Amino acid sequence: MEGAESLLNPIRLAQSSLVVPVRTKKRLILPPRVKTKYTTPEEQKEKMRASGIVIPHEKLERSITLACTASIFDPYIPPEGDARLSSLSKETLKQRAVQLKQSTISQLAIRKVKQYDPNFSSKTFPEMAQKIFIEAHDCLTNFNKDKLHSLVTERCYPEMVRGNRYKTIRWSFVESLEPPRTVQIRHFTMMNKDNLYGQVTVRMHTRQTVVIYDQFGRLMYGAEDVPKDVLEYVVFERHLVNPYSSWRLHGKIVPSWAPPKDPTY
Amino acid sequence: MYTGSSREIIGKWEKKNRVVYPPQLPGEPRRPAVIYHCRREIKYSKDKMWYLATLIKGMSIDQALAQLQFNDKKGAKVIREVLLEAQELAVTKYNVEFKSNLYIAKSLTGKGQYLKKIRYHGRGKFGIMEKVRCHYFVKLVEGPPPPPEPPKTGFDQAKEYVQQLRNRTIINAL
Repeated sequence: MEGAESLLNPIRLAQSSLVVPVRTKKRLILPPRVKTKYTTPEEQKEKMRASGIVIPHEKLERSITLACTASIFDPYIPPEGDARLSSLSKETLKQRAVQLKQSTISQLAIRKVKQYDPNFSSKTFPEMAQKIFIEAHDCLTNFNKDKLHSLVTERCYPEMVRGNRYKTIRWSFVESLEPPRTVQIRHFTMMNKDNLYGQVTVRMHTRQTVVIYDQFGRLMYGAEDVPKDVLEYVVFERHLVNPYSSWRLHGKIVPSWAPPKDPTY
Repeated sequence: MYTGSSREIIGKWEKKNRVVYPPQLPGEPRRPAVIYHCRREIKYSKDKMWYLATLIKGMSIDQALAQLQFNDKKGAKVIREVLLEAQELAVTKYNVEFKSNLYIAKSLTGKGQYLKKIRYHGRGKFGIMEKVRCHYFVKLVEGPPPPPEPPKTGFDQAKEYVQQLRNRTIINAL
């Protein structure tokens, strides 16, 4: 039995390759060949075919999974003067808000989303959305890349993270001035008809503090402990067909009438 | 067309740019930005490059660029390119406000990888020719260039001499 085991030893199957150490110096650049019979790759191919050397043609195929869409489809156009004290009465504003929610496309989209995710409700979703928003920004400050990938889509991640590698960011969420509201829901298909993605725009009016220091510790943007009122239209996305997907931050819509940003130092 | 192999090892000089300082308190003076830049495997001798490196040591970047522009050496063109690259990096990446507000704190050369070739002499003799390459390193700091040290006057030397005499201790005495 022991003899049989030694016969089955896989080392015997391995080719006996003698590694002969050849004394060569590591050359940086090879000198040009003097007697070259063929130079162009076409001639080289013909010669190889004639001599009988066959190189199997490897198919370079790699499957890609699209977990998020490339942009915000059908972006929400926020009405002008949304967070300003206008001469309109409160009632008309409320009416307008209700109208936006009840638009037909949004209703269709809600129905589609509920097909795949029965727990979805446009009334409870904004709170969850705000939590994801706060968590994502906290991960940004701590540079917790793994958690950030799960909270933010691949399209939004480079936008958030570019240029921040050697900077110190301090962000804190003070309070929410108005409760967050779902403003628009859309659903889209990519590639096939079955590949469904859902995008929800949430309107958030909040108070936040942001300070960014550059690589040398110098103040670049914002000021410590100075809360600012921010009106944002944040887009969340989910790959509906995938049962293990979750709602993730996809992007922000900055209206053209927004107040100008502070200057960077 | 064959080109030299690219360096896989990231050198120590490039890694110096990765230091992140903690945020400064509001009362502290503003820390000057520091930019480390280098070019590797320049086809030039390190000894010949050294003359140019010491020429621009301590100068402001504008003065250095001007001096190198009108210098006839081959290395001057290379160093000028390196300085312009470093200036670009400073403005875009390292949050430097004014591109002229930089001075050259350190300017060094180092030996690159050499190739060996045979040079044939008469009478069957040969020599081994070295194809020489060098690296060039530069450290730019934000701010006006520091004033040059005043030359040592005779009075200073005399003061030092007197101080040395005063520092003597007499052993085994009261």
